[in-house]
Amino acid sequence: MLSYLFKRLFRGFITFFIAVSITFLILRLMPGDPTTLLIGPNMTMEERMILLNDYGLDKPFILQYFLYLKELIQGNLGISFIHREPVLKIIMGRLPWTLLLMGVTQLVTASVGIPLGVIAARKKGSNVDQLINTFTIFGISIFIPWLGVTLLYFFGYINHFFPIGGAYMPWNEGAGLIFIKDVIHHMILPVLTLSVIYLANYVLYMRSSMIDILSEDYIRTARAKGLKERKVVWKHGVKNGLIPTVTMAGLLLGRMVGGAVLTETVYSYPGVGRMIYEAVGKQDFPVLQGAFIILAFSVILMNIITDLIYAYLDPRIKVG
Amino acid sequence: MAEEKKIDTKSFWYRFKNHRLGMIGFIGIIMIFSIAIFAPFIAEEPGGYGTAEEILQPPSKSYIFGTDYMGLDIFSQVVWGTRASILVGFIAVLVAAVIGVSIGLFSGYLGGIVEVIGMGLADIFFTLPVLPLMIVMAAVIGSDIRNVAIIIGLFQWPKLARVTRASTLKVINMQYIEAARSLGLKQYKIVFKHVLVNASAPVLVNMTIVMAGAILSESGLSFLGLGDPLTWSWGKILNNAHQSGAFISAWWTSMFPSLAIMVFVICFNFLGMGIRDALNPKLY
Repeated sequence: MLSYLFKRLFRGFITFFIAVSITFLILRLMPGDPTTLLIGPNMTMEERMILLNDYGLDKPFILQYFLYLKELIQGNLGISFIHREPVLKIIMGRLPWTLLLMGVTQLVTASVGIPLGVIAARKKGSNVDQLINTFTIFGISIFIPWLGVTLLYFFGYINHFFPIGGAYMPWNEGAGLIFIKDVIHHMILPVLTLSVIYLANYVLYMRSSMIDILSEDYIRTARAKGLKERKVVWKHGVKNGLIPTVTMAGLLLGRMVGGAVLTETVYSYPGVGRMIYEAVGKQDFPVLQGAFIILAFSVILMNIITDLIYAYLDPRIKVG
Repeated sequence: MAEEKKIDTKSFWYRFKNHRLGMIGFIGIIMIFSIAIFAPFIAEEPGGYGTAEEILQPPSKSYIFGTDYMGLDIFSQVVWGTRASILVGFIAVLVAAVIGVSIGLFSGYLGGIVEVIGMGLADIFFTLPVLPLMIVMAAVIGSDIRNVAIIIGLFQWPKLARVTRASTLKVINMQYIEAARSLGLKQYKIVFKHVLVNASAPVLVNMTIVMAGAILSESGLSFLGLGDPLTWSWGKILNNAHQSGAFISAWWTSMFPSLAIMVFVICFNFLGMGIRDALNPKLY
């Protein structure tokens, strides 16, 4: 178990290292002067000098790379052109909203998608299965802004069931239970949007792994023992069927970040995604770069957690 | 091990023709390509400004998709946007295929350290949040439509690399590869002429899926404001609608371009399903 954990941590480290190196290469190898990308047009001379010194932009390329890594380890992601504040501070204020959105979406998609996948596998070839399959094809083809706009139009604009943007009403801030209710109210449409998109992945994975598992010997043995069909499928089958699904759920996180960026933009949700959209419009490169680094870090961390769940589900890993 | 037959073109076409969804996708794609080619005959190239009375008009007889905040006809924008989406899709698939197929092919054929690095890289790109990375690149490099297409392709290769490796591993144990080796054929000839050709079927299926993904990515990037300002694309029409603030109240400004995106993507996914099912009828 310990060596497994160590291996995962090492892989996470390598992944993060490569992510960080790619951003360095993008920003430094581009034609033109990197200072224009890192130092805002309306910074004071003093700020400019501090940044130039921090990044060592007058030093050789390799040295710049190590200086960049050093600054990164110290949590220095640069200063936003627009907000004139450290990028890390700005992002940390936004990150909880994005993580909340993604966490709730994972919960919803898992609790709906896993049972649907099991049903589709048990009724393989039937009309129910066909219906679920067709639905999943549409699910992977949906363009997130379309779904967002459609939901907003019907449930926010025509009928005022849900607010058309934001994460809470400003006057409810700090109002305890009312605030929590308000946040949930604002979250329903964005979570619904993301869930419709990513539900298909759970259904497809669960269906195909359950089809394989239901023809295994141990399932036949469980049936031969006289266990109830419900228990055979849901206890003996699903626990094993979850193993590949958990791997998929971990891999899904990276793509879900992309979905969250688009969803937050449509719903003016105050997460990192919306911040990225605003930064694109204002060419705020340090914020864009910092957002990618922090999002990559979050995804890698969540992947390690997923791997631990996987180890719990699959005891062979604990032994090996 | 099962004998891997070469693709039987005649029976492939027979099965594909009877695959309802696959045919719908195929016909849909042909129609969309025709729209792109004959765009000048279908609608005027959008440009300039409309008159004040033409601003944000809902769909009507003269403007079947309505008009945008500048009074321009959305129908002609959608028609002309077809060209951009097809261009981006093709360039991205080409870039992804060149990188993905070579990494997959050499990982499968050579194994060892090449495989560890190649597949390790693919894993890493699977894990990372790719959209924010594409955003950083597009923002720095500039959003010329070809740049955007190449950037998308650079991040779509891992899927093709995995598929190519898997089918390469299946093929290299075949007797005809052993025969080619024992005949003393050159390495590169074995790899490109025998292994690649026989491993290409699943790669082809996945190229349609990569195409669908590339079109979604381009639309997403343009929607976020990273599209080519000089080219009409579906994502850019949406971005205009979003920036004008009328994208919900004037629903037609966002509905028609995003429907166009989805129809195109669904057609490619259907085509992929059709090819997949026609290639291995046993599985379905």
